[in-house]
Amino acid sequence: MIEVKNVTKKYGSFTAVENISFDVKDGEIVGLLGPNGAGKSTTMNMITGFIEASEGNIIVNGYDISKKPGKAKKQIGYMPEGVPSYQELTTKEFVKYMAELKSVDKKTRKEEIENVIKQTGLEEVENKLIKNLSRGYKQRVSMAGALVGNPDVLILDEPTVGLDPKQILEIRNLIKELGKKHTIILSSHILSEVSQICERVVIINKGKIVAIDTPENLETKTQNKNVIYVTVEDKNEKMLSIKDKIKNMQEMEYVKDNEDGTKQYKIVSNGDIDLRKTLFDILPKEDITIFELKKAEVSLEDAFMKLIDDRQEKNINKKEKQKIEKNKNNKHNEQEKIGNKKEQDPNSSDENAEEKEKTKQEEGGKE
Amino acid sequence: MWAIIKKEVKTYFLSPIGYVFIGIFLLAFSISFNLELGYSNGIIDFQNVFVYIFTYLPTILVFAFLIPMITMRAFSEERKNGTEQLLLTSPVSITKIVLAKFISAFVMVIIAVLFTLIYMGIICYFGTPDIPAALVTLLGFALLCMAYTAFGIFASSLTENQIIAAMISIVTFVITWVLPEFIASGSDFSLINMFYKFTTGQIDIAYTITYLAFTVLCLILTITVMQRRKSAR
Repeated sequence: MIEVKNVTKKYGSFTAVENISFDVKDGEIVGLLGPNGAGKSTTMNMITGFIEASEGNIIVNGYDISKKPGKAKKQIGYMPEGVPSYQELTTKEFVKYMAELKSVDKKTRKEEIENVIKQTGLEEVENKLIKNLSRGYKQRVSMAGALVGNPDVLILDEPTVGLDPKQILEIRNLIKELGKKHTIILSSHILSEVSQICERVVIINKGKIVAIDTPENLETKTQNKNVIYVTVEDKNEKMLSIKDKIKNMQEMEYVKDNEDGTKQYKIVSNGDIDLRKTLFDILPKEDITIFELKKAEVSLEDAFMKLIDDRQEKNINKKEKQKIEKNKNNKHNEQEKIGNKKEQDPNSSDENAEEKEKTKQEEGGKE
Repeated sequence: MWAIIKKEVKTYFLSPIGYVFIGIFLLAFSISFNLELGYSNGIIDFQNVFVYIFTYLPTILVFAFLIPMITMRAFSEERKNGTEQLLLTSPVSITKIVLAKFISAFVMVIIAVLFTLIYMGIICYFGTPDIPAALVTLLGFALLCMAYTAFGIFASSLTENQIIAAMISIVTFVITWVLPEFIASGSDFSLINMFYKFTTGQIDIAYTITYLAFTVLCLILTITVMQRRKSAR
């Protein structure tokens, strides 16, 4: 089990990760999602003990990473981003080195190295130098390094980047298989991958957690319940005029013309009202043939974009509100100052007027 | 820790660095050996010839440039290639990692120094050298190298650029070497000057402790740098 409690990472005045908290239960696969620079790798690096959190605690299987780093690190198998490995070693030498670093028992070491090599499909290249391997194999070598020693927790930073579709499928299946016995955190840019592999998703944006939920729930939560796409054959061009005939229709928008002469429209209803039944009733009466009628589906991509956009909008609104309030306060203060001045010195405005006149006269004289 | 030492020493020999390091050192030592025999005008001082070779400029100077070649990659290369992530997220502590890096570099130096015993064998064949004095000289040279290796490791922890790491080591070595020429009290800070005392056949306890203390200081500094980088990374 991994517990991340109120963790913050600061670099001077820049905050890379701000007060994030989440946990990963035993045997669970959790995906870290977020745009570039969101703080995914920083979070992973803090969990593995590679960097130190400025504030907060990270507990891996009961061991605090900053207080008992040795024991906590023993629970973790880490596959860093960019799959760094020792190029001058062979695959087998590298896996052996990682096993020795993790103090894998000497008696079972040889057997374990062979198992891991088999599991990751590296038998063919076990005696080849890592520098001569393709990207896909390098990725697997790095995975083998993380797996050796059979750690309870696996942390995989972008495990499928740079792989071909076949390799991606193989690695995904391997991760799913590993998920049965290990606790896994993985980060990825590919949202479909996360929705396929992970049981839960943590969405991070600008160092803050935007959402934590299952991929399905995230999709449902962000779904637009009142949007319908309808494809129709409308010979008499009546479609746009039916808007007034349907009570709860908020908006109708033409989307596109199809090759078969049909047209697609987007219909938005008021609130959560489902207009599908009404459309089925009314459109045939208007001599409009329905070819397709479907509710708008939301993918994890849409959910992700929506969550991130919502957050940004909220931030922008917050800033704008603050600006407006600041301006109001400033104006108010200025008015107060002017009011005070007038009260203190009621003749000052006359004096100012006199001064202005004097300067005007002087300027006129010069000309 | 043993795993790192084993892998590091192996890596030195998997790349040309290990062979070049030992080869150039032995070449410089051979030149010094030849020069010493040449100067002796036929009357060879077999008793002290081995000690004299160590005091020759090429031997020391070559080492000044060779040790950084071994130490510069210790942390810089790991940092540049990203493999430090593997190393620092393993259950091995930073102290053990630093010690392992230092020991493996020092093992390379010791291998090179042990090769000089071949010359000792040649001298023994033709005459009777002062073996205790020769061994004390070797000890002094090993101590000098140890201190210098530790400094090289420290320099390597400061940057991810190997060339800069090597330059820091070389410049520091050259400064401590030429310092006594300009400042009288500079000889107290010169690691090489301390070594000359050993060539007289005496084990100087104060200097031995100085070398050891300098080594420990450099290693502690390296550990501190690595710890600090953890929070600044």
